[in-house]
Amino acid sequence: MAGMKTASGDYIDSSWELRVFVGEEDPEAESVTLRVTGESHIGGVLLKIVEQINRKQDWSDHAIWWEQKRQWLLQTHWTLDKYGILADARLFFGPQHRPVILRLPNRRALRLRASFSQPLFQAVAAICRLLSIRHPEELSLLRAPEKKEKKKKEKEPEEELYDLSKVVLAGGVAPAVFRGMPAHFSDSAQTEACYHMLSRPQPPPDPLLLQRLPRPSSLSDKTQLHSRWLDSSRCLMQQGIKAGDVLWLRFKYYSFFDLDPKTDPVRLTQLYEQARWDLLLEEIDCTEEEMMVFAALQYHINKLSQSGEVGEPAGTDPGLDDLDAALSNLEVKLEGSAPTDVLDSLTTIPELRDYLRIFRPRKLTLKGYRQHWVVFKETTLSYYKSQDEAPGDPIQQLNLKGCEVVPDVNVSGQKFCIKLLVPSPEGMSEIYLRCQDEQQYARWMAGCRLASKGRTMADSSYASEVQAILAFLSLQRTGGGGPGNHPQGPDASAEGLNPYGLVAPRFQRKFKAKQLTPRILEAHQNVAQLSLAEAQLRFIQAWQSLPDFGISYVMVRFKGSRKDEILGIANNRLIRIDLAVGDVVKTWRFSNMRQWNVNWDIRQVAIEFDEHINVAFSCVSASCRIVHEYIGGYIFLSTRERARGEELDEDLFLQLTGGHEAF
Amino acid sequence: MGESSEDIDQMFSTLLGEMDLLTQSLGVDTLPPPDPNPPRAEFNYSVGFKDLNESLNALEDQDLEALMADLVADISEAEQRTIQAQKESSQNQHHSASLQASNFSGAAPLGHGTNVAATGISQYEDDLPPPPADPVLDLPLPPPPPEPLSQEEEEAQAKADKIKLALEKLKEAKVKKLVVKVHMDDNSTKSLMVDERQLARDVLDNLFEKTHCDCNVDWCLYEIYPELQIGKSHPQQWAVLQKPCGFAVLRNFYLDNRGKKESKETNEKMNAKNKESLLEESFCGTSIIVPELEGALYLKEDGKKSWKRRYFLLRASGIYYVPKGKTKTSRDLACFIQFENVNIYYGTQHKMKYKAPTDYCFVLKHPQIQKESQYIKYLCCDDARTLNQWVMGIRIAKYGKTLYDNYQRAVAKAGLASRWTNLGTVNAAAPAQPSTGPINGTAQPNGQMPQAAHSVSAVLQEAQRHAETSKVKPPMFPKPMFSTIRIVPITALLKSRVQPSPAVAKRPPMPPKRHENPGTPSGAGGGEQDFMSDLMKALQKKRGNVS
Repeated sequence: MAGMKTASGDYIDSSWELRVFVGEEDPEAESVTLRVTGESHIGGVLLKIVEQINRKQDWSDHAIWWEQKRQWLLQTHWTLDKYGILADARLFFGPQHRPVILRLPNRRALRLRASFSQPLFQAVAAICRLLSIRHPEELSLLRAPEKKEKKKKEKEPEEELYDLSKVVLAGGVAPAVFRGMPAHFSDSAQTEACYHMLSRPQPPPDPLLLQRLPRPSSLSDKTQLHSRWLDSSRCLMQQGIKAGDVLWLRFKYYSFFDLDPKTDPVRLTQLYEQARWDLLLEEIDCTEEEMMVFAALQYHINKLSQSGEVGEPAGTDPGLDDLDAALSNLEVKLEGSAPTDVLDSLTTIPELRDYLRIFRPRKLTLKGYRQHWVVFKETTLSYYKSQDEAPGDPIQQLNLKGCEVVPDVNVSGQKFCIKLLVPSPEGMSEIYLRCQDEQQYARWMAGCRLASKGRTMADSSYASEVQAILAFLSLQRTGGGGPGNHPQGPDASAEGLNPYGLVAPRFQRKFKAKQLTPRILEAHQNVAQLSLAEAQLRFIQAWQSLPDFGISYVMVRFKGSRKDEILGIANNRLIRIDLAVGDVVKTWRFSNMRQWNVNWDIRQVAIEFDEHINVAFSCVSASCRIVHEYIGGYIFLSTRERARGEELDEDLFLQLTGGHEAF
Repeated sequence: MGESSEDIDQMFSTLLGEMDLLTQSLGVDTLPPPDPNPPRAEFNYSVGFKDLNESLNALEDQDLEALMADLVADISEAEQRTIQAQKESSQNQHHSASLQASNFSGAAPLGHGTNVAATGISQYEDDLPPPPADPVLDLPLPPPPPEPLSQEEEEAQAKADKIKLALEKLKEAKVKKLVVKVHMDDNSTKSLMVDERQLARDVLDNLFEKTHCDCNVDWCLYEIYPELQIGKSHPQQWAVLQKPCGFAVLRNFYLDNRGKKESKETNEKMNAKNKESLLEESFCGTSIIVPELEGALYLKEDGKKSWKRRYFLLRASGIYYVPKGKTKTSRDLACFIQFENVNIYYGTQHKMKYKAPTDYCFVLKHPQIQKESQYIKYLCCDDARTLNQWVMGIRIAKYGKTLYDNYQRAVAKAGLASRWTNLGTVNAAAPAQPSTGPINGTAQPNGQMPQAAHSVSAVLQEAQRHAETSKVKPPMFPKPMFSTIRIVPITALLKSRVQPSPAVAKRPPMPPKRHENPGTPSGAGGGEQDFMSDLMKALQKKRGNVS
């Protein structure tokens, strides 16, 4: 025991006084002074501290942080000598887990307790476990960008802060599922709301906000983001993060293993959100057509998530056709005893018959729309001069299977046309159907759409299709309004389609809302049948198919070169890109890589590829450890195998990405 | 229940009526037998069928019988007996019905599905009033009813099951069937029934069975569109039936892989691994990766004779071009075409017919358009290599993983077949010969047998899994309305773009003698491999290249 004294009060052992502050790094914190020797174990010191504080509290999460060395004293069996602690050491006795505010991929803020003492890799894994995101190795934390102080006046709207800091997960156990969510979320209404925030896509952002948010205008802007990644081998405390700081949680490595909508809704949703923001903030470029598809998917996803149809609608297989429908219908009916209409529903396929105005564009014709009696049966459209002639031969008969259906609608102008492009051996026949009102239009349009997919109006989706079309029409009345009609805040998206919240700002500038709406709706008809998870997956896949997908940009200077260039790091290759023009100069694949070395002193990364190709560069925009971690991380991710499941080879990861602590 | 029974009867009689039509259409007069010595240019010989009626009309007697035999073979054993009887009766009518056949509509459901549906229903007629008398067919009496179970519920249950079954059969009956005539290279033809859910691979398998040739993945079907030679005696355009197998591209990887092995023995293993991983990367991820392809192509202007050179880019979402005065960044690109509604075809002789700058043309069009139209897009590449890159690239973009799955499946099947025929040889499964036209048997010694065998078995397992899963897949590819189909080894097809393939004196099908392209570059296998490595490069460029 340290602190043996003589009668006169002189210490006779080699003990000395150690001052330990209690609490987080706060100079005015209360402190305790202990008498220790060099041989004292950390565990003993901890015990003494607790004794001295003499307060009933759970101290189990507390540990000692050595400020000068920026180090946690976690090895309880080590002695003070072994750590090299002397009397002048500034030690803090504080909790290892502290609250931070996480900015999630969906841009929502979430308060939770993160480990400040474990390497970031483990801390992120723990966070992901809490949020029930599988494969935490794909995610990491970024420092929040420094706020620009110039616009002080602008009041930041108070945003909802979700709080999970009270939730503690039992270690080592896979979280059980309770009421459709991991059990730890079902404790209270707040945590439940938090789970909904995590697992459901957010509504589209306010277009005005979207325009205000910073967007990268050049490749060098895109490098900024990547300079903020935290080190995965060091703990948060070591990286200067304080309790209550804002950190961003993002998917860092664009190599998503085993995406399964069934098992990880949170992961899928957050990935979708990250992809969506990537596109909205123009972090990744796409073409106009692609943007329309993305917008349509967002619109669809938002609609589904707001209507609460989160689960898979039971048995809605898009391939479900009329016979399936009739069959299930039949099975239901057989239970009861009204078999008459069973076979009616089986044999009679609903038809549409009406007078419509038809226009067939031909060369050298001056004829406009003409009234015809039109019969739409199964997938075939026939038209006659008048109803009286209907039993006879039609003027023309078109099988709409495989045709292209284009809406040509102007709600305010009361124009409801359907343009059909029907392929036939002779070429496309073009035909316009003009309907009188919305109701008629919706019925015929729905029929045409189904027929183009080879389905008839007996299909189970017919009614919903009609409803959807009617809903769209009403949207166009409210949403795509007049010029300068900027919808009011995010709530507007709930009732109307505001196309500006769905596309990147450059399309907002290029198109008017009423130009965008029909295009988005047109793209929407191809995805309208998808379930929420399918739509999200489709969105992610389309995002992954973009040529620039998954490239993290870093500004570097190659050895022997005089100008800065961009190094793009993707999941399987490195790309040398011209800074000014943006052209790819050269690519190297990881699979051909022999080894890479980092010289921490001169901040240079040297890579050797097969056939004695050597590349060396120094990092300009980010520290070379970020490049190093990216390379090592991707190589780590490529070693994952399905068979190993969720297990994480943490040592391997740290081996591949770490190594610079020594310096 | 009484009412429903009647309704079922009605349904049944309609079905019978349909079947009646079918049998009538089967009994048709025949065309004169084909010219025993057809000209070398096969397309003259090929006949396109506009619809089922015609196609059936064009069949010969023995074809019909073979066809019927096929149909019968397909039907499950339980129903075999009834069907047999039906078949007999239908053949009895063979001649008597021939006069009524002319107005048969091609759109009516046809084929064994109908028969099956009919029998399916006939099985539960036991407790129903007898069907209305069938005008033509004497249907054999259904098998005696099983011991009636006293509980009414159980009866109802059984009935429900039967109705369900009947509905399934009915659904089956709705599947469109088509009779196609396949031209072999020994100038024989085979007729067979294809249904719209079949992949071309299934058709091929069917053919393999009939012709007893090796089930190599190299074979493909191609479809010729003689219709597009409007009013001219020369064939103007033919098109490769795309649904068969987009295997060429995958094979290319293998072939290329092979070629490299031969040239650089040092990196052998590494290379193989690379290729595998590349394939896997492109096709097995969450989304497929479309090879990065861009370059100047000639586009035939709508309705004009001139060809305009434009810079095109291939993306997963479609083909784009760079508008005048713009850059090729994503935001400037203009969409040229998207793939949903179009198929891709090779064009031949476009230099002559459309005054194309070169003969390396491909065409994008809706599969149902079969005459010249403004909706057909004609594109022209500088050389065979670029042409093939684009065609393969577009196919990857359009079909994605299906291409790979089908390939794996075919490889597995071929592997199985070749194992079965020549025990112990494996090379058919891992297509190994880089430059011989058709595969000359499967017994070629393979330098690295143990290794190959290993990988093959792995592929096999994988592929069997694929095969299992893909059974339930809906039809993936748009179906042509009519087809004249030719069976050709892919190698021959590819090669023939470079040079006429050598006539190999091998039994059933030989490489077709394609129209030689005048002024083709380079020689035999070299050219073939060249474009393959180019495609590889394009893919690699996307993910970084080797050197």
